[in-house]
This record gives sequence, C-alpha cells and structure tokens, in this order.
Amino acid sequence: MLRLETLSCGYGDMRAVHGLDLELVEGGTTALLGANGAGKSSTIMSVAGHVQVHEGKVLYRGEDITRATPMARVKKGIAVVPEGRRLFSSLTVRENLVVGGYSLPKPKSDAGIDRVMTLFPRLKERLDQRAGSLSGGEQQMLSIGRALMSEPALLMVDELSLGLMPKMIDACYQAVAELKRGGLTILLVEQSTHRALEVADQVCVLESGRSVWKGSAHEARNDTEIIDALLGLQAGPKA
Amino acid sequence: MLFFELFVQGLIHGSMYAMIAVGLTLVYGLLRILHVAHAGLFALGGYLGLLITNATGSLALAMITSALIVGLGGMLVYRLCYQPILDRPPYVPLIASIGVFIAMEEVFRLVFGPYGLTYNHPHLQSQVTLLGLNLRGAEIGMVITAMVLLGGLSYLAQNTRIGIAWRATVDDPEIAESFGIDAVKVRYLNFFIGSGLAAVGGIFISLLSNLVEPTMGGVPAYKALAIIVLGGLGNVKGTLVASLALGVVEAFGTIYIGSYLDRDAIAFAFLIAVLMIRPQGLFTGR
Repeated sequence: MLRLETLSCGYGDMRAVHGLDLELVEGGTTALLGANGAGKSSTIMSVAGHVQVHEGKVLYRGEDITRATPMARVKKGIAVVPEGRRLFSSLTVRENLVVGGYSLPKPKSDAGIDRVMTLFPRLKERLDQRAGSLSGGEQQMLSIGRALMSEPALLMVDELSLGLMPKMIDACYQAVAELKRGGLTILLVEQSTHRALEVADQVCVLESGRSVWKGSAHEARNDTEIIDALLGLQAGPKA
Repeated sequence: MLFFELFVQGLIHGSMYAMIAVGLTLVYGLLRILHVAHAGLFALGGYLGLLITNATGSLALAMITSALIVGLGGMLVYRLCYQPILDRPPYVPLIASIGVFIAMEEVFRLVFGPYGLTYNHPHLQSQVTLLGLNLRGAEIGMVITAMVLLGGLSYLAQNTRIGIAWRATVDDPEIAESFGIDAVKVRYLNFFIGSGLAAVGGIFISLLSNLVEPTMGGVPAYKALAIIVLGGLGNVKGTLVASLALGVVEAFGTIYIGSYLDRDAIAFAFLIAVLMIRPQGLFTGR
C-alpha cells in the first residue's frame, strides 16, 4: 500500500532520515521503533507531506505522491495522529471532529462523528467541551477520532502512549487493535516497544535516521535481545 | 441623561473602531503580521463609498460595492506584499506593510488631490430623535451595520464548516492542512472579510465627518493597533470588547478630562493604564 524508496527527508539542510526503504502491506500494522531523535516522526510527517523529502520516493497505492500537498494526501486516504496530539485547543471536541472530516461531504462527516463516538464513548459527554480542557487520554482519543473522520485507508499514529496513564494507554491500544481488526492499515511510531509489539505485524527499527533492523513482530517478540541490542531498551512486560 | 448620551456616543465610536480593528486582529491571529496597510484599505473604502454615493445617490450600493472591491484589494495586498515574505522575520512584512500604506496615501493624493472630498447628498447628514437623543442617521446606521456584520461574522465562525476550518487554521495551520483545509484559501478569505469590514468602517467615518482625505486612515489605524493590543493580540472577542470600551472611555474622557487631554491622548492613556494592570491585554488566547 505504502512504499518508501530510499527516502531521505529532513528540515532545511538537516537530514533526519537517510535512505529508508519501507513497505506497508494493506491491512497490516507496522511499528516504527527507535530512540528519541531516530527519525520516526520525520518519516511519518514526510509521508503526511509536512517534512521536506530530499531524495527517494513516497509511493501510495503505486502512485508517486512525493511532491503532493498534505491536502491531496488526506484526500487519497492518508491520515495522521501527530506527536503531542496537536488538537485545535480553542475548538470544541465536535469542532475538532468537523475539521477532521472537512475533506468529506457534510452527511458523511456527520456519520463519522457517530462512528467516533461508538469507538470512544467517553468523548460523547465531552462533545461541546473545548479540546484544550480534556485530559491527556481523552485528547489522544480525540486525536485518533479526528484522524479517522477523513475515512482513511492508512492511519499513521505518532507516539500513541506518550505521557498517558496506563489505563488510558490500554484504552488507546484497544482502539488501535479494533481498527486493525476492521482492516485499516496502520503505521505506528512508538518509543514504548512492548506496547507496539503487541499490535504490530511488522517492525522496522530506526537509529540515527537509518533502518537497522526489519522483520516480523513475531520475530521481535520472540527474540527480545534484538530489541535490547538495537534500542538499548529493556523489553519486558512494562510499557 | 448626559451619562446615557455619552454612553451611546461611546458605543457609536466603539462600533466604528471595531469595524477597523477586527480585520487587523484577524490578520494578526492568522499570520502574526501587524497589517498597517489595513489603514490604506480603510481609506480606499472611504473614497470608493463617497464616489459611488455621489454618483448614484445610493449609500447601500456604495457600501456593497466598496466592500467587495476593497475586499479584493486586501487579497491583492496579501498576494503581492505578504505571501512572498511570509517565511521572513515579522519585522520584514511589517516594514513592507508600512510601505504599502504610505504608497496608498500618496496614490490617493495624486488621484484625488491633497484636499478632502465631501458628500453631495445633504440628506445623508440628517438627524433623528431616538430615546430622547438627537442622533445622525449615519451614527445609527453605523451601529446597526456593525452589529449585523460582526454578528454575521461571529455566526460564520461558530456555526459553519468554513468558519470552523478558519478557526482551526488560526490554531494550527500545518495540522489544519493535514485534514484537507486549504490554508492559502483561508488566508485570502481572511483578507477579504477583514478588508471589506474596513471599507464599510471607512464609509461611515467619512459620512460622520463628511470628509474623505488621503490621510484619513492614519488616526483610526493607530487606534486600531492600540485596540488589538488591548483586546489581546489576535483575539476577536477581546478586540470587540476593547473597541467598545475605548469608545466609551473616549466619550466620557472628552467631557470630564477633555481640558487636560485630547480625545486621542485619552485613548492612549487608557491603553497604558490597562496594559500596566494586564500586560497580556484584556483577553488571552485566540
């Protein structure tokens, strides 16, 4: 579905990712792992069209979208849950969702709000509350819901568990698992390796902007030494 | 009765300031640019309004036509003056904006002459008695028009998809684009609406003074700059409150302390006093 061919991207003259090759299978969940500054978020934001691609290609369903605008990409079915949520904090929950479905006709957008409420019933009672006043977990739910409003075929989630309480992390990962069961293609960027491996099918590990390991999540789960060695993180039951 | 009369006069002037300052704060909220050239567009509105009214006798036609033309003029200023330098430090577009304002003043001087033009329809200066007050038709018209236009703007921003998209773009343009919102179109819309409002404000001010001159944008422009600081930079609600507050303070000030300070000095003394207590302005956030 999505193929990155020797992708190099970054900010101005600074390159954050060097020659990354990655392929996402339709309906699969890929975890992009790595320490802080490894280039995970830059990769996601370059697919979304916000980070400049220096070299290489971004191919989506066979089409070269390397130079496409962020607007064109959302219309093709690519949605992003950015790091730090980046909600429109002065807008209400409902208004954030309306913005999420802006690329769709109004009736479809209205139906999307109902779907998000089914996925995150907790947001239902907060519909007219300002997004900035929600708890961290609720904000993450809203950020996922907002991304789903555009009816994407590919959902990219950046640091799903960052700064959340364990209970909220569970709720968010449950939602991701449900979306996966529904056939959505997911690219998950995480520092919390253990949680990402629970839902992922494929894994790619980045270090200093370069891919240093690729394989199935099954391999990664069974050989935790890989994770230890590549990330310097302790793989275990804790997030 | 004097208290009530002063209060009404304050509201009249406040609504006039609001028409100018809202456009300025919309641009600041979206682009973080102090759009000084807004004053030139305001004066352009005054000129067009006067020329069309004198030619056709219809103030309503003048208002609609001027708002549309000046709205398009505002979009042109954005395209030619700001868009190419948006990635530069804020003082660069500020200097460009001051340059455009001065150039517009000089163009008005060259085209219409250095002296003022006046309306040739005396009925526009007629007076009516309302609630025991003698008011000019233009004053009542200004308050009603400001309420209708600013109320309409508020409705657009709060209740329509395009209004919500507009506010989202002000909050975070990059993420708004991720959801299919065209930030460039939003900026054009912003300049169109803000400049159109300034044009209507320009027409009413020229009606109240029965004068349109090249430098007519100067004083309202620096007062509008003071108002957007007072209201909290980029905050539309704060701008409306600050506009009305300034109008009322000026109206009372000219009567009670007018022998010490003139009208404009009172406005700035009020600004300084408020900013000493609340340096962030009356309202924060956008």
